[in-house]
Order: sequence, then C-alpha cells, then structure tokens
Amino acid sequence: MFTTISRTINEALKNFLRNGWLSLATSMILMLSLYTLSILFIIVMVSNVVIKNVQEKSNISIYFNQSVDEETILAIQQEIEKNPLVNSVRYIDKNSALDIFKKNNANEEAILKSIEEVGDNPLLASLVIKASDPTQYQAIYEFVNGADFSQEINRINYTKNKEIINKLNFLIGKIREIGLIASSILAVSSILITFNSIRITIYSRRKEMQIMRLVGASNLFIRLPYIFEGVLYGLSASILSTILLLITVRFISPYISESILSQSFMSFFLGKLWLIILFQLVAGCILGIASSMIAIRRYLKT
Amino acid sequence: MTTKNPKDEKPRTTLIKFDGVTKIYKGDFSALENINLEIQTGEFVSIVGKSGAGKSTLFKIIYAEETPTSGNILFEGESLDAFAKSKIFLHRRKIGTVFQDFKLLPNKTAFENVAYALEAAGVAKEEILENVPQALDVVGLGNKMEKFPHQLSAGEQQRVSFARALIQKPIVIVADEPTGNLDPISSWDIIRLMLKINEMGTTIILSSHDKYVVDKINKRVVILEDGKIIGDCPIGKYKLENTK
Repeated sequence: MFTTISRTINEALKNFLRNGWLSLATSMILMLSLYTLSILFIIVMVSNVVIKNVQEKSNISIYFNQSVDEETILAIQQEIEKNPLVNSVRYIDKNSALDIFKKNNANEEAILKSIEEVGDNPLLASLVIKASDPTQYQAIYEFVNGADFSQEINRINYTKNKEIINKLNFLIGKIREIGLIASSILAVSSILITFNSIRITIYSRRKEMQIMRLVGASNLFIRLPYIFEGVLYGLSASILSTILLLITVRFISPYISESILSQSFMSFFLGKLWLIILFQLVAGCILGIASSMIAIRRYLKT
Repeated sequence: MTTKNPKDEKPRTTLIKFDGVTKIYKGDFSALENINLEIQTGEFVSIVGKSGAGKSTLFKIIYAEETPTSGNILFEGESLDAFAKSKIFLHRRKIGTVFQDFKLLPNKTAFENVAYALEAAGVAKEEILENVPQALDVVGLGNKMEKFPHQLSAGEQQRVSFARALIQKPIVIVADEPTGNLDPISSWDIIRLMLKINEMGTTIILSSHDKYVVDKINKRVVILEDGKIIGDCPIGKYKLENTK
C-alpha cells in the first residue's frame, strides 16, 4: 500500500515536470477557471458585507411630542417590540439626542452657540426601529402610523430613508439574480474548458497507457498517477490564480470606496485570503481529479 | 499432453493451445480462420507471412488484447475466458512483449522503462535496483541506463524493450516483428539475443516477414496466409516449398 502510494506520487511528479510545457499550459487554463470562480466568490462575499452594512445603517425613527413622558415612550417601545417584523427598538432620550447632535456638529460653532442660547433642550425623544427584514420597513411604517399611540408622535423619519431602503431592496434582489446567472454560466463554461484541456493532455498520452497495460500494470496502478497529476494541476493553478488575484485586487482597491466595506478592499481581501485559497484548492483539485478520471476511463477498457 | 523432447532431458508441456480460433473484425473482415496451433514450453517458433496475414492478431489474442470471435485459447491449460477483465494484467505478467515500434515510454529513461514493469508488479525497491541493471547488462546497455528513448538508436531501443520483457522472468516472450525497424547488423544482434534467451529456457514466439532473420534462426516455422495456417515445419526456412 505504502509502496503504491509513494510510486504514484513519484510517477506523477516526474510526469508533471518532464512534460513541463504541457503541464504549465494545462495549469494556466485551470488557473483561468479558478480565477473566474474566485472573482465570483469574492463578489458574493463583498455584496453580503455591503448588504449587511447598509442594513445596519437603515432604520425608522419615531420622534415623540415634547409633552410625552418617558414612561409612556417605554411602554410604546415594548408594544413595538412585540411586532414580529421588528428586530430591535432603541430608545434615545432627549439628553442623549442632544449629545449626539452636539457630537455630529462639533465643528459648527454657530449651531452649538445657538443651542446654548436657547437654553432648553429643543430636541425630541425618539425610538429607533430596525426591521428583521429590510423589505418590511413600509409595513412597519404603516403599523406605527395606525397604532393607538400615533397621536403622541411628532414625526416619523421614514420618508428620508425610504429611498435608500427601496434602492437597497432592489439592489439585493438584482445582485442575487445577476450573480446567480452569471456565476452559473461562467462556472459551467470554465469547467468545460478545463475538463477538455485535461482530456486532451491525457489523450496525447493514451499510447503510454496502452504500453503500461501490455507490461502487466493493473488499471489502478496506471490510473493513480494520472489522478494525482490532476491534483498537481489543481495545486499549481491555485498558486498562479492567487498571485493573479493579489495583483488584480491591488490594482482596483484604490477605486473602491472604503465606506461600503468599512475597510479598504485590499485589507478585506487579505482578511479573507485563507478562505479564498481554500476555496481555490478545493475547486482546483475537484476539477483536476474529475477531468483526469473521466478522460482515462476511456483509454483503459481492457 | 506431456511429450519427451529427444534433444533435451526436460519434459515439454503445452504452453499455448489455439483451439479452432477465428477472429472476425468489424465489417466482416476475417483476420484469423479456424486456427489450431500448439506451442510447447521452451520452443522457439517463428510465425511468418505477408503483412495482413494475421500474425499480429494471433499475438494480440495471446496477450489478451483481443478476444477470439469463436474458438478457445488455452494458456498453461487454462482458458483465457476464465480471466475477469480487471484481472487480465495477471495473465500479461507471464508474457514478455516486444514490438516493431519498441513501445517504450517516451518520458522515462531506459532504467525506468525496465523498472516500470517491476514497479507495476509491486516488486520491492531493493530488488528493482539490483535486477534492472542486470537485465540491461544482459542486453548490453549497462552504460546507457539513464538515457531516454529518443537518445538511443533503434537497435538500442529494441534491446531496452527486450530487457523490459525479460525482467519479469516471463514464461514466454512474444516478439511482433522485432527486427522490422532495424538495420541488418542490429537485427542480427537481436536474433542472437533471442536465441540466448531461448537457450535459458524461455519460450519465444516471433513474427517476421524477413526471410534473412527466419532462415538464420533455423527453428520451427509456422506459415500464415490470409488468416489460415498453410504450413508448419519443425525446422524450417522462410520458403513455402521447404515447408510443404
């Protein structure tokens, strides 16, 4: 058993190195496949992060009249939390609202001065509602508007966010839709190209297989090195593809706004690098092994 | 089946028996017709005939590359039908094959080509390191073990393929036109090599359409024409009139 394994690896490595150019060409084609698949993989990851970020930023704010006391607001908060569409409700009292306002306008001395001159806190207490599903803001808005406590409400800050929220919904839908179609087409075509090129590589060596059979090698003994060669194609293609991806990301990173990922594209990529390499290794080896296996099956009938 | 050979003390047994073997390829092309032939252990048999007479098909049936359309072939008294397809390599390990086009693995050195047959049979590394140089010495290539086939002459390549056939200590060596691509001097080297191997006890079945080669060997000759045996002579020459 150990002898067979070591002979398999030895044989495959020798073939891979002695057929240098053919191995390189096959690896390059597999690399293009992996590169395409990885880019799709990265797009899916980026869009998930973007969606999560925007979702976290969107909400509905309800501002209460000055006359409403804290107790009433907390009761209303509890009532809203009971709604299954709602993920969380955060209470911001008048003082916190003032602190946030001051912080946001720290550089605007005129505004800060005028606030001080008013003396009394002019800001309203509010409840910030986050939906569990971003498509449900309209329903939550209608629920709040039609509730018993609606006369206590000064204004609902939904119209301001409405546009962003609708755009987001549209975007999520489109990314999923286009992503799915594009990735399936690209994945299928790149897999077919890889499969074909490995098949041709092995076809060019079908005579070798015939000779091996004639000197009394079992089909398994002939097949194993070719399968292991498929693994080698997968490994070298993953390395090449990772290098190409690093170059690509380095080139486009400056053009992608940091705000959408809350970090630079490069550091996002490096953070996910191990996941991407793992993905490529698995995809590369599966592609390499499957193509080799199907290709040799044809030349090993007896 | 055991008969006594007057020349030597060893009893001879039937190694290969063709029993009414017919092979018809696709398109109704009949390559062999009702072949009845027995080959004893230790024999040196030359199968002669024109191209297309069925020599290669006969050989392919021996090493189970082709199966007969009808009839039976017995190897050491056992029908080849008894082998499952996945186990046919066990039968092939008993047979050394040599071809006109050498059939060496192009990406392997002479040493590795010979060693491959042993590796495939699961032989230990130490044994391979000991036996392969010996086999290459026997064919006179001990100093060219690390050369690739394209770095060797045609005659040298054929000697590598003999070394590969020998290394498995086969019962029989099947040589299909081994001198077909060689110049007369290299051909003579190969003939001497075959005679030497045969003297050591290995059965040899040779196919050839080269009169010079067959006459030099001066052993049993079987003549094939259009898929039929038209002559079988214990000590024959490549001439129809000598065998009839």
